Amino acid sequence: MRLPLAPLTVPLLGTWLVASGCQKGSPDDASGPKTEPAVIAFADCQAGPVPGDAPLRLLTRRAYDNSVADILGDVGNASAAFPPENQLLGFNTSAEAHQASPLLVSEMLSAAEGIAERTVATKLDQVAPCASGATMDCGAEFVREIGRKLFRRPLVAAEELVFLRLFTEALEQNSYANAISVALQAMLQAPQFLYRVESIRPPLVESGPQLLGPYEIATRLSYFLTESAPDDTLLEAAAQNALGTRDELEMQARRLLQLPHARSMVANFHAQWLGTEELGRVIREQAGVTPPANFGSLLQASLAGYMDAAFWEKGTFENLFSSDEIFLDAKLAPFFGHAATREGFSAVSEPTQRFGLLTQPALMVALAHPNQTAPVFRGVFLRQHFLCNEVPPPPPTVNAVAPEPDPKATTRERFRQHTESPVCASCHTLIDPVGFGFENYDQFGRFRTEENGLPVDASGALNDLPETSLNGPFSGPAELAQRISQSTSARDCLATQWYRFAAGRAETAADRCSLRPIQAEFQASGALPEVPLKIALSDAFRYRPPYVLNGGVKP
Amino acid sequence: MKLGRRHFLHGAAGTLVALPMLDSLQVNAQPAAPPKRLVLMYTPNGTIQDAWWPKNVTSPTAFDLNTIHAPLESHKSRLTFLGGVDLAVTGVGPGGPHQRGIGSLFTGRELQVGQFLDGCGRAAGWANGISVDQRIAAEVGASVPIKSLELAARSTQADVQARISYAGPGSPLPPTNTPLEVYNRLFSRLDVPVNVAAQVIARRKSVLDSVQQQYAILKAQVSSHDAEKLEKHLSLVRDLESRLSASAGGGAICAKPMPPLSQDPEGEPEMPEIVRLHFEFLALAFACDLTRVGSLQISTALNRIRYPWLGSLGNGHTLSHSGDSDTAANTEIVTRHTWHSQMLAHFLDSLAAIAEGEGSALDNTLLVWGSEVSKGNLHTLTNMPWVIAGTLGSRIPGGRYLQFNGAPHSQLLLSLLHAFDVADNSFGHPDYASGELPGLLT
Repeated sequence: MRLPLAPLTVPLLGTWLVASGCQKGSPDDASGPKTEPAVIAFADCQAGPVPGDAPLRLLTRRAYDNSVADILGDVGNASAAFPPENQLLGFNTSAEAHQASPLLVSEMLSAAEGIAERTVATKLDQVAPCASGATMDCGAEFVREIGRKLFRRPLVAAEELVFLRLFTEALEQNSYANAISVALQAMLQAPQFLYRVESIRPPLVESGPQLLGPYEIATRLSYFLTESAPDDTLLEAAAQNALGTRDELEMQARRLLQLPHARSMVANFHAQWLGTEELGRVIREQAGVTPPANFGSLLQASLAGYMDAAFWEKGTFENLFSSDEIFLDAKLAPFFGHAATREGFSAVSEPTQRFGLLTQPALMVALAHPNQTAPVFRGVFLRQHFLCNEVPPPPPTVNAVAPEPDPKATTRERFRQHTESPVCASCHTLIDPVGFGFENYDQFGRFRTEENGLPVDASGALNDLPETSLNGPFSGPAELAQRISQSTSARDCLATQWYRFAAGRAETAADRCSLRPIQAEFQASGALPEVPLKIALSDAFRYRPPYVLNGGVKP
Repeated sequence: MKLGRRHFLHGAAGTLVALPMLDSLQVNAQPAAPPKRLVLMYTPNGTIQDAWWPKNVTSPTAFDLNTIHAPLESHKSRLTFLGGVDLAVTGVGPGGPHQRGIGSLFTGRELQVGQFLDGCGRAAGWANGISVDQRIAAEVGASVPIKSLELAARSTQADVQARISYAGPGSPLPPTNTPLEVYNRLFSRLDVPVNVAAQVIARRKSVLDSVQQQYAILKAQVSSHDAEKLEKHLSLVRDLESRLSASAGGGAICAKPMPPLSQDPEGEPEMPEIVRLHFEFLALAFACDLTRVGSLQISTALNRIRYPWLGSLGNGHTLSHSGDSDTAANTEIVTRHTWHSQMLAHFLDSLAAIAEGEGSALDNTLLVWGSEVSKGNLHTLTNMPWVIAGTLGSRIPGGRYLQFNGAPHSQLLLSLLHAFDVADNSFGHPDYASGELPGLLT
């Protein structure tokens, strides 16, 4: 069923990147393929699917490791020496930014050798059994069977032949195990494994959106929801061509979302969205305050516990931004004023002190300077990450340095210049009054009502947001969190962030036809787990735009 | 006393062992003309001018080294200080000063637009051009196993502030932060017997041949945009394959070090050992002619790191923002840079111990040390703290403190190309390209 697209409930400007032509990956990005019309009228969505761009994507380290572990049982963290993926919009799944480098190619060679050597040494009988002793036949069977899993589809004859030739040559000079290893090394470095390929099929001249083939849908589905290769069930469904309808797809998507990999994927999305991946080695300091050892890692686990419960157990947007819980273990609990008697991480209620995700200790620590709070970081972060509202950067001539802590003043007083100087005020009225709303949380994430013996004033204001009901003064974090928890643009933004993570790129005009219904449903339901599910079921996920074959020549 | 390469030893390090002569390591005799080599070195957040630039200067060749470079006293005759060279190209393009500075440092280019944020919310992308080391590697590094070796300490993030080397516009080369990974890449197969090494090479070639055939099959099924991406990857596979044979026949007589321990690349206590090992492995890679171009990035501008082994407990970026009169903070910065000089001095000593031709590997190596700003507290992008170590024979006479009075640093980068006999007429952003730095080269 196609959802009605009108009436629109939110202004568009808040959710789509403004087509300023100055952001890579934006609709005007000159590097992207020129296959989509510049403007998509909403009426066009009714006429049929309008998928956004679908560029070739290189596996992330996580996807590589999961695939190898699931297909070959090799859990050796094979990608450990790969360089980290370049990130775009905060996510490492970017099709444009994550690219091959000499180091990556060299390390992929080493990784493939390591995996292959370990595999034939420890589980040759499971991966490439050859009870008959007819090694040629067994090798061919291995290439077909493991190839089908690694390439996420049956090999075409030409592909199979290349590997078989390699296997045969190796077998002439070496053992069966060795020949299997050599073939496996090549398969693990083949682009059909390393890239998520959606090939152009006959008749090769494409007009209009193309429904993906069953194996391609299976691949998109599994790498999005489980960050791994399709499992046997999914490959079987693809073989039966049982992924073409929305119902069939939904059944598989719901199944995948039950798997442990899906929980990891959601946690990975949250860590990237919230930018807490670097929190592990954080240094926060103040005379007389000693946080527990590995403070940053503990906070990461605390936030992961909170997000896990919010997504999988409570499951609603409103709870995510209003819960009074934080997650503590025996080490963190005393630091935050609670009894240490607990095993692992569990929830603690702080009814008058915590107001959902915005006030989680990990986030407050991540958005702080080592020796003081950071109202500017906090204000910018809230607007960009939770409202998808881009804040203009300061002019290059401004020397932006936080004022030194002053034992006689509050942070708020020290930042007053931002809003008193007319030049600074033009942007900082958008930022600082938001950040001041978090002044109840120090650089250790602890709740405070006093700073340097002076009372904390955590009142503030949201200004100039497209969702006008958000704008206006608030009295403190409780009211700020309450406003975000009821915000339509914050809901749209979360759906947008998921969409960027899933699509591996910024949303474009063409994505509106898929993204708007997802946002509309999320506005109505507020159900967090429905967002990735609905993305997986969207037209953007099932179709791709028409492409011109490389060189325009038919093979 | 100079030692032959096979006897390469590093006294202070204690981790090197001289190996018995191995078949695989003496396939070729030492090359007729010693190779030329380049190293880029980067330290963040500028410097303290009063402790960096030479003092008691009476002429361009008569001066005393300042505090920071005191550990390099024995190499003074090989040092060239370049005063008055500006990062003029940072006047164009997006980004904050640290981003603009590091992006342009060795590329001479502005930044692309993009989504990386600096600490103040300013956004930018990658640098918009190839870096000078890669241009030079294309000339001097064609026949060695590894085109270039990008190394870093505490630069693990994947953004513009953690990259100094670029294969081309928007194509940064990620560095390796972990010595164990460097070791595995460089040395893990160095001492395998020659017949086994030949088998490994033969096997890798057939594997990569198959891989390349798969690329050919796949490229015929995708859009031209995707085919470009595949072609780029394929060219890297081809390059890797073309260098496989070099790994057996590189010909250098060299020693294999002991494998280092596994280390947390962002660990605070590990950092000095990581920097030391990177320099040591780079010297060994040169001794073995595994590569001829390297770079070492010693952390990033905004990573707020401490140097507790020096008693320096301030956060790097915060320290660099301290006022000129804050002597305690400035002393910490000077202490850190003095330590950088000390590490550099060990590296130069290592190169000097590798006999080569009539002299040593140091005679054929050029190291360029730079930072992305000159004064951290003002984010100044003029009068950058450039120092060159090494003379490339007599191409860049050392023992000099030259003044260039606001020359754009693209002139320096072009001079570097010419020092390596790369005949290009300009380098970097065309609006800022205006020939060599006058008088730098002989």
